[in-house]
Amino acid sequence: MASFTPYTYFQCPCTDTSTPTRNLGDEQPPETEENSDDERTFDPRAPRSNYSLYPLEHLFYCEDCHQIRCPRCVLDEIVTWYCPNCLFEVPSSTVKSEGNRCTRSCFQCPICVAPLSVSSLEAPPEGLGAELASQQNGPFVLNCAYCMWSSKETGIQFEKPNGIFAQLAKIKNGGEPILTAKDRRKDREERKRDFSGSSAAEESQENEAPINLDPNERLDPESQFSNLKAFYQTQMAESSPVSALGFTGDYGYGSPGALSRIMGLYTGGSYADKKSKTKSGTMREARDALEGLQIDPLSDEDAINKLRTEGWESTASAEQRHEQTTHTPFLSDLRPVAYLLRTKRSKRCKTCRHILSKPESKVQTTRFRIRLVALNYIPSIIIKPLQPILPTASPLLAPLNPVQFLLTFKNPLFDSVKVTLATPAKTPGRFPTKVTVLCPQFEVGANTDVWDEALRDNNTKSSLSGEKRRTKAEASEGQHQAEAGKVWERGRNWVSVVVEVVPPSLRIEDSEWLKSEEMKRDGGEVRDGEEVVEIPVFVRVEWEGEVGGEDSGLGGGGKDKEVREKRELAYWCVLGLGKVDVD
Amino acid sequence: MSKKQPKGEYIETDTGNKVSRRSQIIGTTNIILGGKTVIQAEVIIRGDLLRTYPASNPSEKQGNTVAVAIGRYCFFSRGCELRPPGKLYKGQFSHYPLKIADHVFVGPSSIIEAALIGSHVNIGSNVVVGKFAIIKDYVRILDGSVVPPNMVIPSFSVVAGRPARVVGEIAEGEVDGMDLREVYRAVGNG
Repeated sequence: MASFTPYTYFQCPCTDTSTPTRNLGDEQPPETEENSDDERTFDPRAPRSNYSLYPLEHLFYCEDCHQIRCPRCVLDEIVTWYCPNCLFEVPSSTVKSEGNRCTRSCFQCPICVAPLSVSSLEAPPEGLGAELASQQNGPFVLNCAYCMWSSKETGIQFEKPNGIFAQLAKIKNGGEPILTAKDRRKDREERKRDFSGSSAAEESQENEAPINLDPNERLDPESQFSNLKAFYQTQMAESSPVSALGFTGDYGYGSPGALSRIMGLYTGGSYADKKSKTKSGTMREARDALEGLQIDPLSDEDAINKLRTEGWESTASAEQRHEQTTHTPFLSDLRPVAYLLRTKRSKRCKTCRHILSKPESKVQTTRFRIRLVALNYIPSIIIKPLQPILPTASPLLAPLNPVQFLLTFKNPLFDSVKVTLATPAKTPGRFPTKVTVLCPQFEVGANTDVWDEALRDNNTKSSLSGEKRRTKAEASEGQHQAEAGKVWERGRNWVSVVVEVVPPSLRIEDSEWLKSEEMKRDGGEVRDGEEVVEIPVFVRVEWEGEVGGEDSGLGGGGKDKEVREKRELAYWCVLGLGKVDVD
Repeated sequence: MSKKQPKGEYIETDTGNKVSRRSQIIGTTNIILGGKTVIQAEVIIRGDLLRTYPASNPSEKQGNTVAVAIGRYCFFSRGCELRPPGKLYKGQFSHYPLKIADHVFVGPSSIIEAALIGSHVNIGSNVVVGKFAIIKDYVRILDGSVVPPNMVIPSFSVVAGRPARVVGEIAEGEVDGMDLREVYRAVGNG
């Protein structure tokens, strides 16, 4: 309630066209506008409007479509992957093989998401020559400098201060080693051989396996998953021997067996060969831990006991569990979270596939190779109250009291533009605001170089500044009445016009319309956001630009550079002017 | 603000810095201002927190006397504090220099103990930037955030929360708006 900063949102024309009730006047090509823009008024409070309104800074402008593009109608393409903590670039091949997390030593605290730093547990050397001691020795732990969590609390310590990701992958919470994937694979191959042999020999072979694997061991989630995956892969391979020939990938879509199945689908099942059908369906389920089965009646009991003894404080919060990849009901189960990689992305127009923004691929540079932002193409709108608000006065708008605002249009183009504004006389919604734009049609000068202005300024300085002073003086006296059809103030590439609004009264009993059926239905409450005066404005910009940039070299284009093209752009804006005093 | 100060609020230096008379700048010899920087009232800059730990290579020793380095067109709002970060290293406590690049805005009552702040960084009000944080270019830190120590904030991030985390990205169009030249020009003794 205290303060309100006026805002301007622009509507992107990509909004859904399937809703005929919602106005989409700007969606049509400019020629048909005459008959459409009177009838439909953009309602900034409509539930869909939220999804099409953006501040100007968030919008792009496609030079080929000559249209505004919003974050919802562009395509993102990843240029670079990098770790947001160590800022090292990760090649996309590594991302595919290792996953989307940093595999160096970048971790987040599992308790509070702050970054973890590696520190030594050994007491720093003291006494003479302490500063000459070259390297700190282990063991090392991960420490959170924000909430003071330490990996020691969950029993994790490291031997080396670098390559923490690889080290962590080998340690369970509590310090026990995790069987590496390599060991498991060795074991699995062992078992595969058993399967192909006799199943009776299985038990005896198992005991002789290089690593003694307990069929009832408690698996950590990663190894359980890898066990299960391996088990079902062998099952699938065995159940359909036809496809076993080509079974290399996870799904084996390219295999002859799968192909014949798919062909069977098309031919109504008659094609599906009986042979493979009879043979499939003999898949069995996992039997023990080695195959990924985990039946652990103890774990529930353990959990209950732990809750009894350590209480609610020992459980992990929903956010903390959300960050983890596995099931972690207790704080002691939490593991440091490796940083998710971040990306640099280029953006393309969804309609014509031209690039709208392309950053440099290097992580450390912040330059853009291509950056077509709407800011450089369509005039920005700045809202200011015409009468300066005294610091003592209430920042709220008094109901039913006309207020005047200054809209300043700044032209970023190097051609002068003609701007036409249109607003509904009354804004849509339950509490309509009366709106009058005193000067709906004006021209904004070109955005020439600053030097041009400086040079011109020298000649006309006296007259210009005199003019400005006059308007200012008059404004403060309140004598200079905003005249209809006249621009309030004008600069090199900007124009200010006055808009007068009469804010509505939010009293339910004042509103005739509400007294009827609407009030009974809604209970007459002022809904959230209804006290904000938002005004839809239809802006039409016309200018004569140079004929289409670089790639429209239509043969003779190079000969006469003076070819000018008439351009037109029309869109809805929403001006947030202020809040109305509720009582 | 009833009585106007006779000399004006700001002292303007040769390089165009506008330094409030009511700011507390300690250890001025260890502070570098790149120029056109605004320092408002009640700002504290701790230039006295010098690095005491000997530099690893002797060639660095000349530059050892800088505690706070600030670039051009920075803006330090009322009541914020810049303090070089310090830590215990090999059994010895030492401060390390705080480097701030160009076009950095620091909101009122914020405390900065970062190691490095890149260009075009906007820090809101009542923000705490923890020790040895590294903030890259084009970053916006929203009001009331607490950036944890040692955090690295990559470019084009919007950061908020306690502890701070990346909550969004700076849009391509917002990049131009983070220039502080206009803000500098608006500050005067008037």
